[in-house]
Amino acid sequence: MLSQKAWSPYAAGIVIGLLQIPAFLLIETALGASSSYVTVGGLLASWLDPSVVKIDYVAKHIAATGKNWWQVALVVGVAIGAFVSMRISGASRAAISPIWRNALGSASPAKRYAVAFVGGFLMLLGARIADGCTSGHGLSGMAQLSVGSTVAVAAMFVGGIATAMLLLRRV
Amino acid sequence: MSVTAAIAIGIAMGIVFGFALEKSRVFEPGVIVGQMQMRNFIMLKVFLTAVATGAVVLAALNGFGIVKLAPKAAMYYADVVGGLILGAGIALAGACPGTTLAQIGAGYRDALFTLIGGLFGAMTYSYAEPTLSKTFLGQSSGKLIFSQLMGIPYWAGALGLAAVVALVLVGLETWRPWRDDLGKDVDGDLASASPAPSHIRTVPAE
Repeated sequence: MLSQKAWSPYAAGIVIGLLQIPAFLLIETALGASSSYVTVGGLLASWLDPSVVKIDYVAKHIAATGKNWWQVALVVGVAIGAFVSMRISGASRAAISPIWRNALGSASPAKRYAVAFVGGFLMLLGARIADGCTSGHGLSGMAQLSVGSTVAVAAMFVGGIATAMLLLRRV
Repeated sequence: MSVTAAIAIGIAMGIVFGFALEKSRVFEPGVIVGQMQMRNFIMLKVFLTAVATGAVVLAALNGFGIVKLAPKAAMYYADVVGGLILGAGIALAGACPGTTLAQIGAGYRDALFTLIGGLFGAMTYSYAEPTLSKTFLGQSSGKLIFSQLMGIPYWAGALGLAAVVALVLVGLETWRPWRDDLGKDVDGDLASASPAPSHIRTVPAE
């Protein structure tokens, strides 16, 4: 089973949903991912600009607390888990997914890297404004029946669908 | 709990998370962009299944008084503005903040640019936060959950949500089986599964 290339989305979704158990019981928080970008980004920025730690928001995120660094460890673990899963199944990926040639109408890696950078920038800018991402608002917020998270997820899909329909070509 | 223990737990949980993201193929740009173009439904299926599972788990843990809920405050302006920008970023990155790391683990090089862009985005917000939090984006309506508005216990609302989601998923799967969305190389690339375009068809030697 671990060497299969693809699981049903239902099996994988159940595994992801069950991760709320250790998150709530051991860390007393819900699954999330985007705060870790502030923790790591804040730490890196503080080397260039020590005054950044005077911003309460940054200080709160880079503090040596279990919750902050648990989430950084979580996303590092995600990379490790995906790498191991890939290796066990014997799959391999090109440097850039073949869909981008169609979606961007160009095979230029430089163009794709530029779009990825802009995409990443908007993703985290938006996630921090909304105070959560697909994990924090989506998986955790909706499971907790949060009104604000449901609004954020709806906006996220509206923004994503509009952008993918208007700016990207058919994949 | 010590920070070291929290990090060890985080790594272990992350490995399971990354494993499930990779196996489900939901981390693939082809699956995420495909979902946003309404041609691929794997992302919605994984997402809704994880939400319903989380709701059942939390209904039990909270219903028996073992854990407290930790919902985020409703900040409608910030939720809408941030959500729209986040969604635009997801479409262009072909990733979410979490699946970016799965893409890096799986060997997609462009995901490194997504990650660096993400760190810049997070820091741009951090520098602006003291100002932004004083504007309409900082307005909060407090922690609000649907079950509270309906006057029912959380566990009942959560189980109800899970039941509705399960029905939606049965309908979705009947309409469109998940294997149809995988693509030949399980990357959600459905275009290359169709016959090659005529101009690259090999010409027989004379």
